[in-house]
Amino acid sequence: MSAADVEIRGVRIEDTFAEAFGMRGVRIVITAKTLRWAREAASKLTGFATSVIACKCEAAVERELTPDETPDARPGVSVLLFTMDADSLGKRLVERVGQTVLTCPTTSCFDGLPEAVTRVPSARALRVFGDRFQISKVLGGERYWRIPVMEGEFLVQESFGVQKGVGGGNFLILAEDADRALDAAESAVDAIAGMSGVILPFPGGVVRSGSKVGARAYAGMIASTNDAYCPTIRPITRSSLPGGVNAVLELVLDGLDYGAVARAMRAGIDAACRPGVVAISAGNYGGRLGPHHFHLHRILSGDDTPVPRPAAPATGQPVTSDATDGGR
Amino acid sequence: MSDVVTLTLRTAPDGPLDLDGAVTPDRLALLGEREIAALAMWDGARAARLGDFFTVEGERAGRVRVVGATAALDGLGAGMAGGELLVDGDAGQRAGAGMTGGALRVTGNVGDDAGAAMSGGSLHVDGRAGDRLGAATPGATRGMTGGEIVVRGSAGDEAGARARRGLIVVGGDVGARGARAMIAGSLVVLGRAGASTGVGSKRGSVIAVGGADVPATYRYACTFEPPHVRLTMTYLRRRYALSVDDGAVAGRYRRYCGDAGTLGKGEILTLVRG
Repeated sequence: MSAADVEIRGVRIEDTFAEAFGMRGVRIVITAKTLRWAREAASKLTGFATSVIACKCEAAVERELTPDETPDARPGVSVLLFTMDADSLGKRLVERVGQTVLTCPTTSCFDGLPEAVTRVPSARALRVFGDRFQISKVLGGERYWRIPVMEGEFLVQESFGVQKGVGGGNFLILAEDADRALDAAESAVDAIAGMSGVILPFPGGVVRSGSKVGARAYAGMIASTNDAYCPTIRPITRSSLPGGVNAVLELVLDGLDYGAVARAMRAGIDAACRPGVVAISAGNYGGRLGPHHFHLHRILSGDDTPVPRPAAPATGQPVTSDATDGGR
Repeated sequence: MSDVVTLTLRTAPDGPLDLDGAVTPDRLALLGEREIAALAMWDGARAARLGDFFTVEGERAGRVRVVGATAALDGLGAGMAGGELLVDGDAGQRAGAGMTGGALRVTGNVGDDAGAAMSGGSLHVDGRAGDRLGAATPGATRGMTGGEIVVRGSAGDEAGARARRGLIVVGGDVGARGARAMIAGSLVVLGRAGASTGVGSKRGSVIAVGGADVPATYRYACTFEPPHVRLTMTYLRRRYALSVDDGAVAGRYRRYCGDAGTLGKGEILTLVRG
């Protein structure tokens, strides 16, 4: 079988790649008296966190944790949060943990990357909410802050480990109609749910509004609709849609490392290959912007090793504008 | 170079032997057998060498084991900065005093002033501890300033006195004046804390699972489930395999603030049973 002929259950896998960027990520472990309240806090913390462009960060629930997996032996939820640099990561942590976890009944908040060398001491800023009634405790070399609140106390670990991650892994589901596309996308999301080190930051894990860099008509736009994959304007733009495709949905993945994203893409693509899906594709910028390339055929062959970074583009070379990246 | 340096006390000494600063894994890790045997120590008021009393096996290892009639050995692991020191039996006075790092494990009991003024590392005692566990050395203004002490048995008077930071855990009861004049840090007592607990403390926490004689200068605040107690107890179970019952982990505690005669930001937490 040639590289161009890869199929899964009759669904063609295009010989292309997803292009992703370097990001910085933290894992936030939220525990609570019951899983309900850990979920509540995680839900609020990860709200409005689909794309760094407008939301300043990308975040979602990684998975739910059993008491055996959490520092205080309570049920919990782990959240991954990504930004473009460690400095802004610290700021987002202060904002989001301060407004959504500190405020949520019974919760405590811990670092989920204890091995990370780079750390952001975000709770140093949060502690002042205690108005000098806060108390610090050191346990196993880690400092925690006890902040008095009306319910009792909020406990938060002082520093969070920061890891270099990968943002913007993606694949496109090209389907015969919107219902089939949604079925396939839901299957892919279910297959990825709970995988370690990766999140899907968009609503329900799915993007319907893939974008291209900039805009044809409006100067100053950072991103605009990915017209090459919009079926309703197929005849009046330079369409990339194969015949028979009437709807496209995208999954965007952020991960703590290349392998986590590659494994999740493999699982998601496999699950998405259902009846009514014509092809699986991916969004890229011609390989000239993002250092992380996820070649679909390579991933599906089981190869999770990073692809070497390509040479830098020649000076003055324009960047393609027909890429999709989920709106970032 | 070997995996472990073993020091075997050949005969039980007539009186205490002072090894203060001599037997530390970080120091022995740099020395050969003959150099170790030549290390200075004190036999009462008489200067001596380790080789006068110990058989030395192994060299240049960060793990050290001391065996024999070890109860008469004072200052074991005092000032140690790294590595592992296992005392197979009892230790005398000042075990781990002033240590800044590494792990000291004593399978028996320790005498007075164990972990006094330590600032890092861990001291783990399977048996009992004497007075002034993790407290200040005589005349000093600060006791323990960091690290962790876990004693599975009981401890004597003034555990954690003048402590500035760090964690002291006692599996049994603690004598009088535990956490006296504590500046900060935590004293966890899985048994009962004795008279005048926390008297004169500025900050710091006493967690008394088996109850405490709370001084009149402490004022009742509330009864609640302290998240940090749950975290601490879970940590002790996992890190030190300490037997902590579920009630102590997830239970409600009465919180008292004090000492009102000082800054008053310290606390005594006593578990509410039933």
